[in-house]
Amino acid sequence: MSADVTILGIESSCDDTAAAVVQRANGIGQVMSSRVFGQTDLHSDFGGVVPEIAARAHAEKLDHCIELALRDADARLCGMDAIAVTCGPGLIGGVVAGVMMAKGLSAASGLPLYGINHLAGHALTPRLTDNLGFPYLMLLISGGHCQFLIVEAADRFRRLGGTIDDAPGEAFDKVARLIGLPQPGGPSIEAAARSGDPMRFALPRPLLDRPGCDMSFSGLKTAALRARDAILQEEDGLTEKDQSDLAASFQRAVADVLAEKSRRALAEFQTTTGTTGAFCVAGGVAANQGIRSALQDIADAAAARFVAPPLTLCTDNAAMIAWAGIEQMALRAPDGLTLSARPRMPLDTVSQSMLGSGKKGAKA
Amino acid sequence: MTCILAFDTAGPYCAAALLKDVDVVTKSEEMARGQAERLMTMLQEFLQDNSTSWADLTAIGVGIGPGNFTGIRIGVAAAKGLSMGLSIPLHGVDGFEQRKRLGLAPVISAPRQQIYIFDHGVPRMISSQNSSLAPSQPDPDQIARAIAEDTVARGLDAPNPAAPLYIKPADAAPARDSAPPIFP
Repeated sequence: MSADVTILGIESSCDDTAAAVVQRANGIGQVMSSRVFGQTDLHSDFGGVVPEIAARAHAEKLDHCIELALRDADARLCGMDAIAVTCGPGLIGGVVAGVMMAKGLSAASGLPLYGINHLAGHALTPRLTDNLGFPYLMLLISGGHCQFLIVEAADRFRRLGGTIDDAPGEAFDKVARLIGLPQPGGPSIEAAARSGDPMRFALPRPLLDRPGCDMSFSGLKTAALRARDAILQEEDGLTEKDQSDLAASFQRAVADVLAEKSRRALAEFQTTTGTTGAFCVAGGVAANQGIRSALQDIADAAAARFVAPPLTLCTDNAAMIAWAGIEQMALRAPDGLTLSARPRMPLDTVSQSMLGSGKKGAKA
Repeated sequence: MTCILAFDTAGPYCAAALLKDVDVVTKSEEMARGQAERLMTMLQEFLQDNSTSWADLTAIGVGIGPGNFTGIRIGVAAAKGLSMGLSIPLHGVDGFEQRKRLGLAPVISAPRQQIYIFDHGVPRMISSQNSSLAPSQPDPDQIARAIAEDTVARGLDAPNPAAPLYIKPADAAPARDSAPPIFP
């Protein structure tokens, strides 16, 4: 049995400033504290996360967030065994702020510093929440990411497919704005869709006609815009019925695409690993009940266990970063004070990259 | 014994000063990029070269800008981490204070023919073309020295929060596509 460890985790790669203390005792992970400062209000006027605004907020709030996380856990920095910080992928200004804060803490305390891939944090969360064994299939669906990963070990991930353009959370936000629903788009579309007719608008199911697990959500967003504009050509505005029908039709299209691609990914997972395994979801979009139940059905049909961590550990948080640090401590040396913050940082370094494979390298 | 480490990364350099009682030593390296990777190891080497350890420090001073936004955050975030980790005070010193301490004009060059000035107690960015004010550019070693000296002069009992001084608001355009009217 591995030794008991306690780690401070720090996360600042998008629009959540987060710090957490996580402990592993007798092989079982426990979240001692987890603080998340959201920035939704700061970005609400701009129709998306503004990188410079996000970076400023992280630089301003991170130290306070860390102090609160330590206090909540009734712990002190010197009582930690290491510090884990998100070093990419993400909005670079925020990532740099987190990495530099962590380096300062590491130099001051002498604690080893581990740079953690944000996606590894999400992908390893089911081991923290459900003590899941390797391998398992992970679908990460959030505002910035969308990919299927076979999680083989705490430092070994194989990507089966992912979005070739927008992430689904991004599409939810954009469609919400197009049809006059408030941000963040995920919850408001889900609420509106409850009373809507998902069959009224025939929106496309992109890439279902092609083999494999890749997805596309950009065209779906445009199709929703066309459907809205068709109404606006006839009328001066949208009725609440139009809104909820558009929301329901869009949500159903996303759920259909995710479900069919999940079915394929799960089949591929089961063939390659020779196990029934577990199908896990993480990311903010996994909070959508319509999508979640569609994915649960896919897992049930394949006799795979379905694991969806609680929402607080599904969306961006620092407990997952601390936990990934605990898992990786046993496998590699710490990173030290030269650790780089990276806007692009694929988790699977073997499979061919999908996004931004140009000069700057793969995004994820 | 007073032992202050001061540093600044608001321009294309990493600069540091170590003030022990009345003696000040400085070090700087010019770099257009890579400050985030270099800063901490440079500080560590600098302390070692001067037979000082992190635990010997009694306060941290840091430059808070104005200057390169990312550079300011690199310095301020590292300084906050060090201050919290060592449980010692942190003091932020802006570019105007640095220049005053060095006997230079409190005028700082900004991108695109603009300058940062301190106008009736308010920091502002104005066009340099309609102004007779000429920016002063102390070398990085002087800047670090000024931050260290200012940190001592202010006293360590009432440190400021070392908030970045950006002056220029974040570039952000309101959402383009406006929502359609909604009827019940």
